[in-house]
Amino acid sequence: MKLKRPEQLHEISPHIETSRSSKEIMQDVVIALIPAFLGSIYFFGINSIIIVLTAVTTCVLSEYIWQKIRKEQLTTSDWSCVVTGMLLAFSCPPTTPIWAVIIASAFAILVAKQFFGGVGSNFANPALMGRALLMFLWPASVSQYVTTFHEGSDAVSSATVLGLVKSGTEISSYSKWDMFIGNVPGCIGETSALLLLIGFAYLCYRKVVNFAAAGTYTLTVLLITFVFSNEGLFQGDILTNLLSGGLILGACYMMTDYASVAPRVKVTLAAIAGIITAVFRIWGMLPEGVMYGILAANCLSGLVDALIRPHIYGVNLKKNSK
Amino acid sequence: MKHFFHGGIHPTDGSDKLLSNQAPIRMYTPKTVEISMKQSPNSVCQALVKAGDQVLKGDIIGKPVKFGAANIHASISGRVSQIKTIHDDQNREIEIVIIEADENEEAAQKLGEYEEKLVDLSGYSREVIIEKMKEGGLVGMGGAGFPTHVKYETTEVINYILVNAAECEPYLTCDHMLMLEQGHGIINGVLLLAKAAGAMKAFICLEDNKKDAAKSLEEIIANKDLPIEIRMLPTKYPQGGERQLVESVLGTEVPAGELPAKIGVIINNVGTAKALADIVLGNKPLTSRVVTVTGKVNNPSNYLVPIGTKFTELIKESGGTTAKINRIVEGGPMTGASCLIGEEIDELNESVSKTTAGILILEDSSRDETPCIRCGECERVCPAGLAPFKIDFAVLEDDISLSNKLYATECISCGCCTYVCPARRELAYRVTVAKNEIFKLRREGAI
Repeated sequence: MKLKRPEQLHEISPHIETSRSSKEIMQDVVIALIPAFLGSIYFFGINSIIIVLTAVTTCVLSEYIWQKIRKEQLTTSDWSCVVTGMLLAFSCPPTTPIWAVIIASAFAILVAKQFFGGVGSNFANPALMGRALLMFLWPASVSQYVTTFHEGSDAVSSATVLGLVKSGTEISSYSKWDMFIGNVPGCIGETSALLLLIGFAYLCYRKVVNFAAAGTYTLTVLLITFVFSNEGLFQGDILTNLLSGGLILGACYMMTDYASVAPRVKVTLAAIAGIITAVFRIWGMLPEGVMYGILAANCLSGLVDALIRPHIYGVNLKKNSK
Repeated sequence: MKHFFHGGIHPTDGSDKLLSNQAPIRMYTPKTVEISMKQSPNSVCQALVKAGDQVLKGDIIGKPVKFGAANIHASISGRVSQIKTIHDDQNREIEIVIIEADENEEAAQKLGEYEEKLVDLSGYSREVIIEKMKEGGLVGMGGAGFPTHVKYETTEVINYILVNAAECEPYLTCDHMLMLEQGHGIINGVLLLAKAAGAMKAFICLEDNKKDAAKSLEEIIANKDLPIEIRMLPTKYPQGGERQLVESVLGTEVPAGELPAKIGVIINNVGTAKALADIVLGNKPLTSRVVTVTGKVNNPSNYLVPIGTKFTELIKESGGTTAKINRIVEGGPMTGASCLIGEEIDELNESVSKTTAGILILEDSSRDETPCIRCGECERVCPAGLAPFKIDFAVLEDDISLSNKLYATECISCGCCTYVCPARRELAYRVTVAKNEIFKLRREGAI
């Protein structure tokens, strides 16, 4: 059967529709990310502006050029590539070289997003894919962390909090308050739990994201890292795990991504991602497991969606339900 | 035990109903009526009259061409001036009988006894009521227009009647006003429906935005020991969907591919109950109905009009439209059919049928489809539990067997998915396309 497109689809019922559009949703996510962006400028200075602008510009341009060349419907105006650019920049340390940001951004949009069919068809979160590319090809470009401005006079090289924990170093130099407001070494947008949560509260208020998915992911990671900590059973440091390593950024903005997490099974996938993240944090070579956890859940999305069958009205009813 | 149907939406803030839910039902009698011989999608009748004939209100002027349709009666007394023939969307020839009213025929309407108090129904047997349904041309007045007598000729044992007074479609208020003004007629009609089915109980189901109507019905049945229960349900679209109503009221589901009669339930609209009382107790066949004219008009109103009244007359009677470009919809905004888009309304040929619950004028707006972002809203709101975005994709890929596996056949065409889609995808339309195609292939034995 070849579907004939009626000339005027809008004559078909329903004749009213929600005022919310895809563009508005993406703009809401950008708005939600702005507090953390401003915080990053405060903590890491001009570098964070340069990296965020480079990532966003590269993402938008890549999508525009790709769709122009392929003569496809332009989707740059839906703001989804702006979100990708911001999230990618947020998960890079302030020392990331510009060339690395450009490569990662172009890879995120072209390979991770457009190769799989563009907005809504990508199998994994494009920003995380870009970050993963850097991690695999040029690990040095994304592993130089610096202290924030407000710790001392100059930014000096430093490991992240989780990195210190992993290597068995005492972390008493960072108070929980510093970690909460973001005054610690880390990636541009991941350090401030406070500012990320302000944005997340906005998204919840606008009903853009699924609170349950973010919550499940966070709780799973915290529970497992608490129980099976390196210090012994039930000895894990819950607050340090919560406030470091981009857990909140991942939970609030990446676990809730639409395309790569099948909507109906979001919570199940969040739990799976949480388990994988925790396993990486406890037994992995590298301290931060958020990226791997969420990317792995992205890859399992289709499978889990197929395994957990929805209930269709009137189908497979129990006998004698009369 | 409270039950809820799955999914659903709150399409508006309720202000749409306020337009016309304080407007009492007014009688409007046109000089000319145009009665289509197709009063509902699957019942085509043949005209029994010809141009020049004199007819009296209530005379049968159309008989079904095949089993399972309902008679059509003259809705005013007068002279048949013309019989037009048009072609419908399935290219069937449909006759339209045009009747011009006699001069000074404005018979004063006197309320029947059954409209003022509950009457003794012991003289009416099941068979008599069903025969009268058939004679009186009764069809479901909620929108689908299924001939009522066919529902009641079932061989299944019927336990419950659900009287659908949810009126979950935004804007429409005809059932609401009918309940406020014609409570006795409705209760008599509901008792007749229960008798016709041999049901032990009837539930009158309202959304909780019509508390005043529920109260006035409660007062009528109070302390009378009638097998009727008024059930208040949350205001949520599509509460009045047949299958959703069963889920909300009885907590069970109707098996896929079966009629509700299979689980011992018959569902009828509250307007149908009132019309049955008119037929059986008032000896008046179905020749009129209540129509809400609302939306972008100067005076949103509810009218009691003869079947065949022209839409244009009712819009003018309501003070004309205020929209720049009118989109005129027959029925509610969620499932109604768009019958004209344009600045002028004079080209509007439609007239009121037995299933016209409303004439809705909206400001026309266009929708541009953008790619699905897989937010999953359509799946969350689907009352049938489907994933419309997946079926949309399958239909665009011409993959009918995938649509079948995704249960496109269980779509109830409520339109919730299209309503919530932020990418403005025509989900309900494509799922319906898939559904119809699968049914066609099944009839041909292909799948």
